[in-house]
Amino acid sequence: MEGILAIWQRDLTKFFRDKARLFGSFTMPILFLLIFGGGMSGTMENMMTGSMGAAGGAEFNYVEFVFPGIVAMTLLMTSIFSALSIIEDKDFGYMKEILVSPISRVSIAVGKMLGAATVATIQGIILFILIPLIGLSYDYMALLQVIPFMFLLGSALSGLGLLFASFIRSTQGFQMTVQILVMPMIFLSGALFPVNNMPAWMDFIVKINPITYGVDVMKKIMIDLEGVSPVVREAMGLDLMVFGRQVSVFEEILFILGFAVLLVLLATLSFRRANA
Amino acid sequence: MAPVISVHDLRKTYKKLDAVKSINFEVEEGEIFGFLGPNGAGKSTTINMICTMLAPSEGSIMINGFDVKKQKNKVRESIGIIFQENTLDEKLTANENLMLHCRFYQVPKDKREQRIQEVLEIVDLVGQRKDRVETFSGGMKRRLEIARGLLHYPKVLFLDEPTVGLDPQTRAHLWEYILKLKEKEGITMFLTTHYLDEAEISDRVAIMDQGEIIAIDSPSALKGQLGGDIIELSTEDNQKALEEIHDKIDGAEVSLKDDTIHLKVSSSDVFISSIIKTLNIPITKLNIRKPTLNDVFLAFTGRKIGESDES
Repeated sequence: MEGILAIWQRDLTKFFRDKARLFGSFTMPILFLLIFGGGMSGTMENMMTGSMGAAGGAEFNYVEFVFPGIVAMTLLMTSIFSALSIIEDKDFGYMKEILVSPISRVSIAVGKMLGAATVATIQGIILFILIPLIGLSYDYMALLQVIPFMFLLGSALSGLGLLFASFIRSTQGFQMTVQILVMPMIFLSGALFPVNNMPAWMDFIVKINPITYGVDVMKKIMIDLEGVSPVVREAMGLDLMVFGRQVSVFEEILFILGFAVLLVLLATLSFRRANA
Repeated sequence: MAPVISVHDLRKTYKKLDAVKSINFEVEEGEIFGFLGPNGAGKSTTINMICTMLAPSEGSIMINGFDVKKQKNKVRESIGIIFQENTLDEKLTANENLMLHCRFYQVPKDKREQRIQEVLEIVDLVGQRKDRVETFSGGMKRRLEIARGLLHYPKVLFLDEPTVGLDPQTRAHLWEYILKLKEKEGITMFLTTHYLDEAEISDRVAIMDQGEIIAIDSPSALKGQLGGDIIELSTEDNQKALEEIHDKIDGAEVSLKDDTIHLKVSSSDVFISSIIKTLNIPITKLNIRKPTLNDVFLAFTGRKIGESDES
């Protein structure tokens, strides 16, 4: 337990000490929000007005739908890239100090995972500060409720990063691979635009993509679904169906939890046979 | 006394390469054990296996009574390792590095403060405790690593090329610290080095070559196997001195070259006092040259250390 805490704390200390990284992590999500929120909302709202008539479209605010998606996307980027710290630790030798110590290998994996998830959650919360600035309003309770889920999602995704970091030895290789992985994960998750009416093979990717469920849960917690007309709900892809039935938030959380546990176990195995 | 490290029939085989071919040795408690060999001899592989970082193909290793294969964590608690390369977190302060180590090794909370102070005193870094490691010089980093390796009171301290990349003065200092440790703490040390003169401080050395241990003994005994010492001597009257030595001292090969008398003796310790006692002629110059470990290494492996390819 103490080992997990030590590893977690070290990663956090290093995050707050690295000024460039701190700056980047503050600005990156803001940039996303400006580009996707500001840039795409005009188009999306026009499309909605076109399909629903002026009356339906007027009450529709795309930014409200895309904001949880952008938070999820920030979580994804930060969590996965935080696993880079493992490769850095290998490069700078510190991983040896960790591996020859009597800490259990599970603790190493869990400590690293929680460290990345914490940093990611902090970034997500930073985005909340922007809510009033871009003319949005979410229920405070909903925002408080979504934070633990963000942490869970961050854990699952950093587990994914951890697994990659254990296979890939170079920083460049890691960045390349993760880039390739992250792009489709974001675009085929419904984070930035609805993923309705996709070709079958793409729909398959959407349904196995853990981000899909992460984004869906975040939207369902944050957006007041009662006040949204069924047409908008459907158009924004909020009626996520798997095998022809609608999935519940509970099932989705369970899926992500399982995903996180599985990845930690895999990462632990890789530490066990590690010879850094 | 029971050995702290005992290695039996240890073997590491890779697909095409026998990196370590069935080696056996024991290290006694409190001794400094030097582990020498050219690059690629299998030294690092052996150390990695002893330190639980690499699984042996065959054989057994016991450290402090624990089996390296079955009781990894007990073994890890019993050893401290100073790796060849820097393994400090340079973005953190000295104190933070040491504190993390305490937490990794579960040093009791109420003892941490005192132990950190204690190890920093040993390596003279008390004043730098709150400084970031990135501001440290190479020698300071090494000392901090040694301090860190001692925090959990290991039974055995492994020092893998501890002085590599340091200037001669810093190197000399570092050995002072290491010897101080042996005197004060009686800690067992397992050491590898490329600088053979530094291996002289070992109580015993093992020489490894091509995956096998080809010699294992005290440095003096190993050098003794090469034959005797050389005494070089000048006096005010060399001819007369030569005669006197011939008359009164047995067992020495004596020769006169230029202005110096060369005596090749089995052990200079015995001879030197009798020479000084018997000679009536004032001595102007006296030099005793012992064979060095370098000579030993050369004799056993047929090459100088560091001469083969990189491992």
